[in-house]
Order: sequence, then structure tokens, then C-alpha cells
Amino acid sequence: MTTARPQNRSLSPLRVGLIFGFLLLVMGGVVARLVYLQVVQGKTLAARAQQQQRRYTPPTLARYPITDRRETVVALDRPVFTLFVHPIQFKVERPAIARALAPLLKQSPEQLLAKFSTYPTGVPIAYDIDEETAAKIRALNYDGLELNQAWQRIYPQQELMAGIVGYVDREHQGQAGIEFSQNQFLQVPSSRQLLSMNALGQWLPALAPADPRALSQGYHVRLTIDSRLQQTARQALQQQLRKFNAKRGTVIVLEVKSGALRALVSEPSYDPNHYYRADPALFRNWAVSDLYEPGSTFKPINTAIALELNAITPDTVLPDEGRITVGGWPIQNSDFSQRGGRGALNIAQILAYSSNVAMVHMMNRISARHYYRYLHRLGLTEKVGSDLPFETAAQLKPPEQFINYPIEPATTAFGQGFSLTPLHLVQLLGAIANGGELVTPHVIDGLYDENGQLQKRLEQPPPRRVFSQRTSQAVVKMLGEVVRFGTGKPAHIPGYRLGGKTGTAQKAIGGTYSNLRITSFVAVFPLEQPQYVILAVVDEPKGDDAYGSTVAIPIVRAVTESLITIEGIPPSHPEELRRPAAPASVSQ
Amino acid sequence: MAWRVPRRWTFGWFYPWRGVDWLLLGAVWATTVIGAVFIHSSQLHLEENDSLQHLLVGGMGTILALILARVPESVFMGSHWAIYGLSCALLLAVDLVGVEAKGAERWLAIGGFNLQPSEFAKISLILTQAALLHRISGHSLKGILSVFAATAPPFFLILTQPDLGTSLVFIAITLTMLYWANTPGSWIVLMLSPLVAAILVALPLPYQLNLVIWLAWTLAMAVVAWRSLPLGWVGGLGGLVLNLGGAGLGQVLWSVLKDYQKTRILMFLDPDKDPLGAGYHLIQSRIAIGAGGLWGRGIFQGTQTQLGFIPEQHTDFIFSAIAEETGFIGSLVLLCLFWLIGLRLLQIANSAGHDFGSLLAIGLFAMILFQVVVNIGMTIGLLPVTGMPLPLVSYGRSAMLATYLGLGMVLSVANHRPRSRY
Repeated sequence: MTTARPQNRSLSPLRVGLIFGFLLLVMGGVVARLVYLQVVQGKTLAARAQQQQRRYTPPTLARYPITDRRETVVALDRPVFTLFVHPIQFKVERPAIARALAPLLKQSPEQLLAKFSTYPTGVPIAYDIDEETAAKIRALNYDGLELNQAWQRIYPQQELMAGIVGYVDREHQGQAGIEFSQNQFLQVPSSRQLLSMNALGQWLPALAPADPRALSQGYHVRLTIDSRLQQTARQALQQQLRKFNAKRGTVIVLEVKSGALRALVSEPSYDPNHYYRADPALFRNWAVSDLYEPGSTFKPINTAIALELNAITPDTVLPDEGRITVGGWPIQNSDFSQRGGRGALNIAQILAYSSNVAMVHMMNRISARHYYRYLHRLGLTEKVGSDLPFETAAQLKPPEQFINYPIEPATTAFGQGFSLTPLHLVQLLGAIANGGELVTPHVIDGLYDENGQLQKRLEQPPPRRVFSQRTSQAVVKMLGEVVRFGTGKPAHIPGYRLGGKTGTAQKAIGGTYSNLRITSFVAVFPLEQPQYVILAVVDEPKGDDAYGSTVAIPIVRAVTESLITIEGIPPSHPEELRRPAAPASVSQ
Repeated sequence: MAWRVPRRWTFGWFYPWRGVDWLLLGAVWATTVIGAVFIHSSQLHLEENDSLQHLLVGGMGTILALILARVPESVFMGSHWAIYGLSCALLLAVDLVGVEAKGAERWLAIGGFNLQPSEFAKISLILTQAALLHRISGHSLKGILSVFAATAPPFFLILTQPDLGTSLVFIAITLTMLYWANTPGSWIVLMLSPLVAAILVALPLPYQLNLVIWLAWTLAMAVVAWRSLPLGWVGGLGGLVLNLGGAGLGQVLWSVLKDYQKTRILMFLDPDKDPLGAGYHLIQSRIAIGAGGLWGRGIFQGTQTQLGFIPEQHTDFIFSAIAEETGFIGSLVLLCLFWLIGLRLLQIANSAGHDFGSLLAIGLFAMILFQVVVNIGMTIGLLPVTGMPLPLVSYGRSAMLATYLGLGMVLSVANHRPRSRY
């Protein structure tokens, strides 16, 4: 049809129709596709749009501030910024940007320029930039700079509370102390919200996750610790550690009714703000996680057991030969070489002179089986169950060995041959001071709101009666005697009465006893109506006069004096205070 | 009566425009305003606003178009070589001192205005071809060859920028105008045959079936050329060479294409292959259009648009904003407006006083509707992504002004029609 066609300028209706038809066909194709996309697939694609535009907020990672019992801040979240640069987005010469940033970041312009040329985008330049500096960087208003906000936990008390509070890592997760063990409790619950997100993955500005200080809304976790008391205890401990060139030490102050720990010092400590520079061994608080043989400080517990099982009365008199043999093993008093045997002693005297031999006689009055069962009941095969992490369970010998070998109950009688943590010993002494009820030591008081109202508390196990009222009162009274005329004499504080017990134990290293010692003193205060148990333990003091009385008592004394001041405890014997220089033995 | 305005007074000052197609102009204005609304909508999240510029250029274009509407067609006819020369000079200038964008040189920075000569070249091409085909029939080899000769220089200047989209518009305009100028259908098929041959050769078929199919096609075209061209066996040989050469040239051109163009061209087949890279744009556009549903999310309420999921949305991907915010109904309204514009242009082409005017109108028809179909086709995933704006709607001042200039010439055609023809 084409070749023979004449040159006809007029339009053929066929061509108009074809073009019109072609237009209709193509438009029809477009409409068909639109029907498919918008009507048939509309719901699916709308869901896909929603899915990529709406996300749940990520966990905020914000943590409650921590304060001591007097609201002194111990840990606090602070916004910090990380600076990234995207050199391909720079609109200003690189050297100019480097010069502007250098003084703010305390890096040299050359250093910065070198970093700029590493990657075209996403180069990290500086971490942990504070708010003020970040604002200055933002004010530079350069393209290609990106500030990402994160949270940094700061610990204003530095080393003072590290053993209790621990630290959080870069991901804001607790790694030691209660930051670790109570990670969940310390996190501000993040309200999971469905928010809009733009194509760049940014939250819409008005909906961005807020400042954690706002999120926590004045809520804070309050500790039972008194940082002033903690400070005194730490200073006193450090002084003795230096004086006796000791390896380490701990001071624990327990409020016996509630189980609240008023102070828990372990030395050496670390700065949680710079945890990465610390010896990782320090992240475990040894007062909670390391076992030791308590030595004589355990004698009051044994005495209470014997009283409770009616093996003795407070008036019972037991012989002290100074040295005996049990199951082929010799046992002697620590002062045997100087004093020899003391002869007949009543129970208070046994404790006051810390007679090992008499203690063996005392515990020999009950069967090993009953003795073991009682120790088990006191929790000496378990962990304390405090809110602190990395606890270690106390270690007794296996029951068969304990029951079948007389040497086992005999050594246990004067606090050797088994081990527990310092915190555990404080808990047991606390039961005696608390009229026989065993409570669980803890450092977290609870979650408080901005008005100081308690909002939430960690569940504590109920108090458990392990000794009768009479037994515990009797033992407390005997502990008073120890300070009045026994090994605890140096602990006396004029105007006040306290009970206590010294301990100087040989350290077992690799199964045999060495010359190294662990010295301690545990006090019950005030004697008339005990409220506190105070324990000081110093590990490996050097020197000939390194005993519980010389090493640990001065610490406990300093802490008790501080406790008197802080708590405003009135003297029970005010008449002594009128003669400040009066020797302790004159009164009563 | 007072309401009966005297006829003379009614025609008063706009008497000179009495033949203008106001329905066409109305549809063009409506489309321009829709463009402004959705340019604004798609730029909200960027805190930019080009919609006023869009309307301003639309206003300027209207004034220019109405001025052109009074200019007799003979003036256009007389000046077509001058305009052609200017257009080619500008294209050459882009090659020499052009501003680069995304690996392509397309702009001339003149004052604060980025002039895109390729947009004006489209209008110049329509004018040139209309004038040539007015003089020489499209049913003669001479006519076709002169059209080709005039088209080739600007075409290759644009192809080497490289601006594939505009080159395709050139092809569409040329074929439509030739067809309108009575070029036989078989010749048009022959002209397209090298392109088909190039695609056939490149098809990824097993057992080299692509080569077999391509050879069959080439032989068929040789037969068509032998039968339809007035050259006997030489024509047949020509057809053979054309298809062999087309395939060869296709392979060469493909290797010349920039990587971003290759991925863009192929990605529409399966955008999920690279959802964060080359396919991202297509996937996001498709999601936006689908999410619009039947009635749309509401103007300024489309989440894909407002949250910035579609890059360059105020230019080439403006249709996705319209489809998301006004849904299928809104998209249909826009399509109807374009359809109306096409219909009126066709009507003018059909009723024009002489071939030159008729060809001008059909050229503009081809230019606008080809771009509409290819642009929308790419946003809805029917066609590959070639940088092509949606006429009158996408933000682009050069394209907008060029379209209005073309419209002005067509309005002149309409205005000077013999009264009896419409």
C-alpha cells in the first residue's frame, strides 16, 4: 500500500485514528498498571511503607542516678558526643576545618587532616565530647560534621564507691558492682514507642529520645551507704594498710536490724571513670567474693551455738591447758609460749583471752553432727545473697570429713579449717547483735522519686531466727567483756560501750599454714542496744606487732567514732567524758 | 438588556486571540498548578520551595505563548534556520563550557539561571522538521534524508552530553512527524529496525537464540526494504546493512554508556536485586504510589513523600508524590488532563490551515505525550529510568519555558486557522 502512494498532503483519517488509538493504548497500559499498584497491591505497599517509616524506639540505655543515703550523688548519666566527619560533604577547605576544630578537640590540625584523608565518609574524630564543646562544634555550622549523642556515666566519688557501685562499659551496661548485679533495676524502663523515621533513618526531631535526666524524672536509686562514714573508714583503713605494708583490707559497717550496709570499703580500689586503666582483679570486691579463715572472730558464733544447744551456760567453766592434742594434732593458744595454760576459765574469759584450747573443749561438748548441722543452718555452705555481684559461697569441709575426723570440729572451734567472706562474717555477727535474727546485708535502699518518696524496693528475704534472744544477749555481753579487759581493750571509746572480738589467723596457702596473717576485729555497737556491727580485716600486714588488736582495732575505733558523730549517738556513760584522759579501765 | 454584552465589546481587546484554543490552554494551566502544589509537597521535608519559581516560569511562559499566538506562522517558517542555528550553537556551548550534573554536561550557567539547551532544542527540532516536511513530502527519500540531515547534528550533540532521555524524545518526535507527513509505515518500521536489531542481539537468551532471532529479523527487514523502497535490490541490501550495522552500533554504544546509565536502564526489570543501590529509587517510588491507594493519603500527608524516601522527587519522580497523596483518582485526573492536552493538539493538527501548522502541533503532541508516558512509565516500574521530566509538572525551568514556547507556536496555528475548519 505504500510504494504506489501519491504525494498527498491531506491527512488520511486512518493516520489520525492510528495515532489516537496508539495514545489510548499507551494511556490504557499506564492506567492498568496504576490499578494494579494502587488498587490491587495498595494495602501491601502501604504496609511496606509503614514498615520502613515507623520503628520502635531503641532502648534508651538511660540509667537512674545513684545517691548515697544522704543524697550525695554517686553515679550520674551525662550526655556526651562522638564527632564523625564526612570529608566528601565538606564545603569548606579541609585545613580551615582542621584549624577550627583543633583547639576544641585538643588535637593538632595536622592530626585532624591525617584523619580526614583516611576515608571519604564516617571518620570518627573524637569521643566523649562534653555538651559545651559539642555546642561550639555545632556553632561552626560546617557541612560534613556529625555529632552523635551517647550517654556517659560519671562517678563523682571516684575510688570511694567503686567496690559497691562498679562501672558501666561503653555500651552503658554494668560490668561490676551493683551496676552489674542490679543492671535491670538501674535502667530507666524505656517506653517503647512507635515513631516515624525519615529516609535517612533519623527520628523526626520532635520525637527524638530525650535526655536521660528527663527520662528518669528525678527518680534515683538510693544506697544505704553513708559516704561520709565510707570516707572515714577508707582513710582509717588506708592508714593501717600503709603502716603495716599490708596487701589489702576491708571495712564493713552493718546496720543489724535491717541489714543495710552503712559502709563497705575494700582497698585497693579503682576509679570507675577510668575503669579501663584498672587491674581487672579489682572489679570483684574481695569483701564479697574472696574467702578467708576468720580465726578468733568466729569464736562468738561458736559460743552462741554451744549456748543454743545447751552444751554450756554463761557460767560454765572450762579448762585451758594452753596446749592439747586432738586426733594426733597439737592445738595451742596463740600466747602459749608466753603465758602457758590459763587454768579454769568461764565463757566470757575464754573469749576475752581468745583461748583456742578452751574453745575446743567447749565445742567438744556437742556432737560433730549437730555442730555441722548448725553451721549449715547458719548458711556456711551458701552465698550471703546480698545485692552485690560475684559472691562466693562459704566453704566447710564435707560433712563426712567434719563428722569423722575430730580435728575438723576442733579447728572450726577457733575459726580455722573453713572459710567465708568478710561480708558473711558480718552477717553472722549481725544476727547475734540483732537478738538472734539473721538479716541479709544489702547496699541498695530503693528507688526514690524527686520528693524522696520510696517508689520501689528490691525484695529482701525475711529475717530468719538462728539464735534465741537470750543466747544472743549473753554473747553480746561477753563481747563487752572482751573490750573491757580482754584482747579488745584498745577499742574502748570513752563514754560509750562496745563489744568486740579480735582475730589473728594464719593464712593457709596451698593447704599448709604459712607465716602470713590475716588480722581482724569485729565490733558490736552500742553494747546496751546493739545497732551496728563493724568489721575491719587487714590481709597480710607485715611486722612483729601485726595482730588484730594493733592492726584492725584502730580502724574500727575510728569508724565507730565517726558513726557516733554522724548518727548523733548519745554516750551511755557521759561521766567518762568529763575526764577526757581517763584510762578505760577506771570506769564502772 | 444589560447582561447582553455587545459582541464587538466582548471581543474587544482579546479579539486578536479569538481563535486560540482556550480549553488547551486551561488544561496546560491546570497541569502547571498541580505541578506547583506537588513540587511544594515533595520539598517540604527539605525546607526548600521551588513551587513559586515553577508558577513564575508558567506565568512568563503564558505571556510569551500569548504573544507568539499573534505571530503569523510565516514568521516561524521564515526563521526556522536561524532558530536551528542558535539551538545547535547552544548545544555546542554546553559541550564546551557546560555545568556538569551527575556525570552529564547539561547546563549553561547564565546569570542565576541554569539554561538547559537540550530542552529548547526539542522545540527547535519540531520547528525545523515541520518546515522541511512542509516543503518536501515525507513520502520521498529526499524528504526523509533532509529531515535526518537536519536532525543528526543536535541529536548527536545531545547523545554525547550524554542525555539519553532527550535523545529518545528526538527519535519519538521525528518518527511521529514523519508518520504525520505521510511517510509509509514500512519505512518507519525500517527506521526503527536497527534499534530492534540492537536489542535483539543483546538479549540474554540461551543457546545463542538471540543471534538466530536477530538474523531472522535482519533478513525480514531486508525483504521489507527491497519491497518498499523505490531502489530495488539496492534497497534490500541497504536494509540488511542497516540491521547489521544497528546491532554493531548498539554493542558499541552500550559499551560507551556510563555505568550509572546501564544500571539505571536495566534495574527496572528487577529493582529488588539492589534495593539500597540502583533499585532504591524504583522500589521507593513504587511503594509510594501503591501506598496512595484509591483515594490517596491527602495532599502534604504522603509519608513516603514527606519523610523524604524518594530522592529528586520534585523533578523526575514528581508523579510518585501525586500518586501517593491523591491516589488512583488523582493520578487518573492528571492522566485525563494530559489526555485532553493530547486530544486538543491532535485536533489542532487535524484542523490546521496548512501542513506546517499541522506538523508543529503533532510535533508538540509527540514531545509532550512521549515524555508523559516514559516518565510515568518509569515511576510505576513499566519502563527503564531515563532522566526525563514530566512535562509542565516536574520542576525544571528550561523544560517548562520550552514547552510554553512550543505551545505558543501551536496556539498561533490555532489562531490562524481558517474559521470554517473548527
